[in-house]
Amino acid sequence: MTRFLLTEDKVITFIEHLQKQKNVFAPHKRGTNSFAFEQVSDPASVMLDYTRTLHSVKKYFMPPREQLLSFSLTDNSFAEPTVDPVDAIFLGVHSYDLQAVFKLDHNFSEGNPEKNYLKRREGALFVGVTFAPDQWHFSGSVGINPNDADGFDVFLFAVENGYAVEAFTPAGESLLSGFEMSEFNSDIPAAADFNQHIYVPQGKLSEVFDNAWDNEVWEETSKECVGCGTCNMVCPTCYCFNVEDGVDVTATVGQRERHWDACMTRDFSEVAGGEVFREELAARQRHRVYRKFKYISDKTGQPWCVGCGRCTASCSAKISIVNIVNKLVQDHEQATVAPV
Amino acid sequence: MANKPRVAIFDFTGCEGCELNKLNFENELLDILAHVDIVEWREAMDDRVDEYDIAFVEGSLSTPDCIERIHEVRRKCKVLVSLGSCATLGGINAMKNIQPIEEVREEGYGEDKYLFPTLPALPLSAVVKVDYEVRGCPMTQIEFLKLFTALVRGQEPVKPDYAVCVECKLKENECVYEKGMICLGPVTVAGCDAHCPSFGQYCTGCRGLVTDANIAGMEEILVKHGLSVDEARKRLQLYNVNQLEGVQR
Amino acid sequence: MKDLYFPVMAEITGVKQLSPMEKLFEITLPGGVDLEHDPGQFVELSLFGVGEAPFSVSSSPTRKGTFELGIRNVGMLTDVLHRMEAGEKVGIRGPFGSGFNVDDFKGKDVMIVAGGIGLVPVRSLINYVLDNRDDFGRLIILYGSKTDKDLLFTDELQQWTDDPKVEYHVTVDSGSDDWTGNTGVITTMIPGLDLDLENTKCVIVGPPIMYRFVLLSLNSKGMPEENIYMSLERRMKCGVGKCGHCQINSSYVCQDGPVYHYPDLADLQEAL
Repeated sequence: MTRFLLTEDKVITFIEHLQKQKNVFAPHKRGTNSFAFEQVSDPASVMLDYTRTLHSVKKYFMPPREQLLSFSLTDNSFAEPTVDPVDAIFLGVHSYDLQAVFKLDHNFSEGNPEKNYLKRREGALFVGVTFAPDQWHFSGSVGINPNDADGFDVFLFAVENGYAVEAFTPAGESLLSGFEMSEFNSDIPAAADFNQHIYVPQGKLSEVFDNAWDNEVWEETSKECVGCGTCNMVCPTCYCFNVEDGVDVTATVGQRERHWDACMTRDFSEVAGGEVFREELAARQRHRVYRKFKYISDKTGQPWCVGCGRCTASCSAKISIVNIVNKLVQDHEQATVAPV
Repeated sequence: MANKPRVAIFDFTGCEGCELNKLNFENELLDILAHVDIVEWREAMDDRVDEYDIAFVEGSLSTPDCIERIHEVRRKCKVLVSLGSCATLGGINAMKNIQPIEEVREEGYGEDKYLFPTLPALPLSAVVKVDYEVRGCPMTQIEFLKLFTALVRGQEPVKPDYAVCVECKLKENECVYEKGMICLGPVTVAGCDAHCPSFGQYCTGCRGLVTDANIAGMEEILVKHGLSVDEARKRLQLYNVNQLEGVQR
Repeated sequence: MKDLYFPVMAEITGVKQLSPMEKLFEITLPGGVDLEHDPGQFVELSLFGVGEAPFSVSSSPTRKGTFELGIRNVGMLTDVLHRMEAGEKVGIRGPFGSGFNVDDFKGKDVMIVAGGIGLVPVRSLINYVLDNRDDFGRLIILYGSKTDKDLLFTDELQQWTDDPKVEYHVTVDSGSDDWTGNTGVITTMIPGLDLDLENTKCVIVGPPIMYRFVLLSLNSKGMPEENIYMSLERRMKCGVGKCGHCQINSSYVCQDGPVYHYPDLADLQEAL
């Protein structure tokens, strides 16, 4: 496929070109040190060089809060909300975040396919961009590299003074058509190395987790963890939710709303009557990590973690999932080495 | 409901900010009033009555007179709701509970201290049965509205038991720690829709602690972010001294 | 694509007090259509403005036209529900989950160990067996309750007592003065049973604490593990395998359960 050179000074006109075709969502600065995907109104405020966004693009397909239905208490009837495809261009997506979308696609299509998610997902186009691993990224350990264009419609490979642009799908080609760029014929420079790694591949991890249930790491970690649920809330592959009814103060109408939920919180597994099935923080931490590397992974053959590093970067105690997994790997290897 | 619930509103030891917060329901106030008859409210009317369905009570109990009055309120009402941190947790008033009471009295009233008997500041629940709580300092408006709507419909309100962080992340706020501040959101009960962090402020813990909060872990986080062990403890005590120091709730 | 979260509006067509804490609700779907559930499956019942919660179906699919839910008043939703009357509407989704595979039980002796409110879901199976009595061998029912005042479905308990083809045993933890039956925990009734172990399918349903003790007791009795089934309680919020609340290790109770074949629980450390 042909690659084109998008020089730094042409990025804004390139975004304007995309805006003529569909709504564009891209990373923007949020707060002091953070980034977030927002709809582009001013192309100059788009940040293509960013570490990671607070939330992944998951928030567009599974909104943090979402109305499942609205109801009337006067006649006990309900109405469906309208769910429209997001049908937009997602610009500046990192490879791990697109892989996370594909994992959610799996979760919402298998078994009982969910209309809300799948409907919103229609028409989304992804324009990727190279990322520079910071101290928390470890996606290389789960097979996702900064220049992985897998699944993208268009990818912007970081090169000197700009980006080498390549379309990978017909939809991607049409995004580029009509935008003047010269061809780029050099090699793409190798992406920067990761600063942290999980030592073993998923194939081996399944075995590690077979022997990790009683590892002391769960208890140790639970001393630092306060169970705030942040790691769940920022995870691009977490999709658990709770559903609650809200009633207007007139007590005549209301809505049934779902919102993201966190298995790290105590009341997540609480049933009516007060029994809590994962009462200990250690058990909750274990459940979270098993969900990322064992439970779904055994069924799909893939890790359900994309190595974005959000859970650690956002944790006020800086509990590292990489350190947890590596400790399990280490203990597993020591236990399985034949005695001399 | 055929007869509107009769509501009475009382204040004990506190700043009365929770009561004013009720008057701040600009859009909802008329809807609220349509559902109930307010029969007693010192802040806004002169009437006194002998019986009411719902009593909303603000403030902590910190004098012998408070104790007497709260028993009377409990006798006269069917449902007792505590409003705000003082009534629910003891509030900032309860900071005095970890100091010698005579020193506190002297500091507060000087020479006239003998005219002002004082007790440790207690939440209502330490003295009478409390049916429902609206937390926060001042009390969280959205929680009050939810509880109010539930009560007029004859229902139990939902009580969240997860951290403010969950609600904060639902709004995709930048973490307060990321701004270089410290925050008690990780151990504080949600329900305020992360009000303070959403306006760039840190969480002071005014809504109380989640069940089985990992206090040692929270202190370690605060210390990791630059507080001394003593400062960390004090931050946590601001609203939760009764719970942390084992004063009866 | 079918919407997973929209309920069908059904009518409460009967309410019966079962005990001080429990009521039995008879529910009729629009047009009187059958729920078409398996014994052991559950539905999500919703009340707009209050919420939605899972309840095991208590009636047998052999009883047509309506179905029954036996509901203890323990929370926000059940509190409102307990104040509702015949003629009022509730939302129903389901049936969900995996129930008892009754075909596996055919030709076998069926033994039921039910503790407390555990009798509610398992009553669906009991009545299924009673309605197809010739397809099954012995029907042995062990029922344990906190007190004799908490015993549920007392009319049916009397019928089982009187039915020569039902071996019904009951015990209470503490009986009132006029209680003349067994006193003691449910496991005390197991050692004395004369069972054809290889040919008996055993079903356990009760509070979490009960499972461990009943399993120990069955084990010392020599009951093969592959003959044991149980129904587990978790927080099945969505009912369709998405929300994550009911997850036990890699298993979603709302999909793989609530009824589990005991050998399948061996890999689920969080189950019991």
